[in-house]
Amino acid sequence: MKELATKSTKGTKALCLVCLLCLLWLISPSVSVAQNLPDILNRGEEVFSQSCTGYCHAVKGAGGGAAPRLAARGFDQAYINNIVTRGVPDTVMQGFAVTLSRTDFTAVVAYVASLNGITNPSITAPALGLGAAAVPDRPVPAEAASGRDLFYDATRSFGRCSTCHEVNGLGIPVAGPIVKAPANVQELRGLTTPLVSTVLMNGESMPALVISKGTRSIIFYDLTTPPPVLVTAEPSAVKISDGSPWRHASVMASYKDAELESILGFLKAALTAR
Amino acid sequence: MKDGKATQEERKAQRFLCLLCLLCSCPLFAQDGATRADWPHYGGTQFAWRYSTLDQINTSNVKNLAPAWMFQTGEYTDGLQSTPIVVDGVMYLSTARNQVFALDAATGKVIWNYKYTPRANYAKAGSQGVFVQNRGVAVGGGKVFMGTIDSHLVAIDQNTGRELWKVAVDDSRQCGCNILSAPLVVKDKVIIGENGGDGAFRGYLTAFYIKTGRLAWRFYVIPAPGEPGSETWKGESWKYGGGAPWMTGSYDPDLDLVYWGTGNAASDFYDGDRVVSEKDDPKGVNLHTASVVALEADSGKLRWAHQEIPDDEWDFDSAYEVILIDREVNGRMRKLLVHMNKSGLTFVLDRVTGQFVKAFTVPEVQTWISGITEDGKLIGRQSPGVGKPVTICPTVMGAKSWNQMAYSPRTGYIYTPTIETCSDVTANRQEPREGIFFAGGGGARRLPPGRETFSHIDAFDPMTGKRVWSFPYKYGLLASMLSTAGDLVFTGDPEGNFFALNARTGDKLWSFQTGAGHRGSAVTYSVNGRQYIATPTGWQQSITGGMLSSLFPGIGETWRVGSTLVVFALPEAIR
Repeated sequence: MKELATKSTKGTKALCLVCLLCLLWLISPSVSVAQNLPDILNRGEEVFSQSCTGYCHAVKGAGGGAAPRLAARGFDQAYINNIVTRGVPDTVMQGFAVTLSRTDFTAVVAYVASLNGITNPSITAPALGLGAAAVPDRPVPAEAASGRDLFYDATRSFGRCSTCHEVNGLGIPVAGPIVKAPANVQELRGLTTPLVSTVLMNGESMPALVISKGTRSIIFYDLTTPPPVLVTAEPSAVKISDGSPWRHASVMASYKDAELESILGFLKAALTAR
Repeated sequence: MKDGKATQEERKAQRFLCLLCLLCSCPLFAQDGATRADWPHYGGTQFAWRYSTLDQINTSNVKNLAPAWMFQTGEYTDGLQSTPIVVDGVMYLSTARNQVFALDAATGKVIWNYKYTPRANYAKAGSQGVFVQNRGVAVGGGKVFMGTIDSHLVAIDQNTGRELWKVAVDDSRQCGCNILSAPLVVKDKVIIGENGGDGAFRGYLTAFYIKTGRLAWRFYVIPAPGEPGSETWKGESWKYGGGAPWMTGSYDPDLDLVYWGTGNAASDFYDGDRVVSEKDDPKGVNLHTASVVALEADSGKLRWAHQEIPDDEWDFDSAYEVILIDREVNGRMRKLLVHMNKSGLTFVLDRVTGQFVKAFTVPEVQTWISGITEDGKLIGRQSPGVGKPVTICPTVMGAKSWNQMAYSPRTGYIYTPTIETCSDVTANRQEPREGIFFAGGGGARRLPPGRETFSHIDAFDPMTGKRVWSFPYKYGLLASMLSTAGDLVFTGDPEGNFFALNARTGDKLWSFQTGAGHRGSAVTYSVNGRQYIATPTGWQQSITGGMLSSLFPGIGETWRVGSTLVVFALPEAIR
């Protein structure tokens, strides 16, 4: 028992040490990267060339673009980190803290630092949330990736799920947040939509999702054909009645059962991660 | 006539004669792309001439032109690139951040103001979607239509300014795209382009019904697998191949065809992952990028397409205006179109069939090709190399930027502003990431050596391709042209001068310092018999405006931003 206890104690200590290291890594504002700096700078240049050259900072930040030159400006790393995190207010320079992965963020900061003569940059983690100038494309488990791609699939035009649903910050939030994924494809295909009403306007009847009923205006989505149209009408011009023959299945035609299965997998993973 | 009155038979004959005269004159009106009292469409009319029959202001009295009123939008940081639309004495002016003002066109008094609120966090970092701007609204069916910086299309009540409907054309957070161009109203539909083709994005046009906002059709510039033209794309590259039709097209009501220019292929400079054939394959490469397309107005179905730059490796969009004119070719009147792409190559096509008629080049410095064949094919392409810079003139700024040229039926000339720039471009292979910039290379821009002026306004006869006159300017001209029946051509420069040239000679006749740089599109209209010339002012120190400023260090920084409409007229005592 003593031996077991010792082993157990040692194991606990080791576990604690690992946890402590992990915790330190998570909270540490700075991590030394000297051993693989060239790789990081290469990755940084790659990210820079994809996201920062374009119309803006030109190749290697050399200037001649529409945005300021970044090379040899004497920037210190704290400044670079701050700008890449938060962006510059009232300009097209957006914060990248939530759109780039941690690895790419740190790489591009190190790369811009290197353009300013900082030969041994430290890598500072982004202050998440502070630079929320765009919505994070949150990672999903690998098995849910195909469902995610189908959900937002641009090749389906207005036939994709994200025409009406916002998940993880992407998609148009016509419908309310998805709080529970249907158990299976059959349930998804049979989904009822009690909130969809019938609106009569200009002598025409249409399926509608009513957003607000005010004294000055009625606002509703006309669901006749995707994409939904947000209509603002005078209360006297519309007549609303409960229920509609509209069915959710009618806007899922571009997907096969197997694809819907994948999409449900993505939704379940996304809901679990919340 | 015995009793001094026409007999019934004679009256019938007179009526028949009148009808005959009317019928005979119809073709003239059908070909008329000129505006009159109103400025109803982005390009003046749906023919995109940017020409008005108004001649109260003309070569003999333009020297007296003076400010009548001004209007400040309050958005002073982003510039003003809008084309004001004028209908029945009311002006509809959009701003860079998607406000619309309805103004009394004679006084500038605000009738209503619509403020669009974009979706929170709408812009995708690292995409084209971060740039704000708006180039104008469209008016029709009692509504005012505007595309938005978060890729929506809104319809506003023309009388009250209240929003009537709104539709998401795309999800700007995902596509990295946005809408900066003016919509085009065609019969019962409103058609809108989309910006984003320098990112990993597949360009399209979308038409919505004016009355309901419901989808009428969508035309993808790049065909999907299995569709004709899809064989010109390698692997999955069609999904991210660009081609965005990001400006405003034209419409011929007789042919019932819509004409639109399409953007460059992406990745812009590296073609290794998208091209499957020879760069000059006569069947076209990466269809239908860098092309003019003719679509059936009711269905959006492709009638014909003409690719101007097969395998565009230079970011030379063909997304610009399409000018519809009827002119004689070899003794026969033909329905034609005139279209310049970013390289400055200008094509004249038969707009019924898409058949090539003529092509000529406008910039003076040209290295990207050595020339063109008689049937408009590129000769001596200079392809950007991987790891090997190649000098390319003109540049991504364009020999002409999106700012529109004008046409005058009185002279038969087109009037176009050109800038002369060069760039040492290197291509780099790049993996596409949806919505993120997908340039595949690039290079800093510079001025071509051995010149003292770097811009010029030219009058070209499109039927001969000959330059008739040229007006040089030291820096760069990035505002649209306006031509009038007073034989005047108006435009502005980045230093703030708004000026008039003689349309027949190019002589400068008048100039006024407006206080801020010009990057917009002037219009003319009349109210109660008085002709007005209205010009947006306010430089934009980003995208092409910023690129131009950076080419003139110490000078370009002084070109003032702002957002003011300045309206001129002849003083009451003179006219």
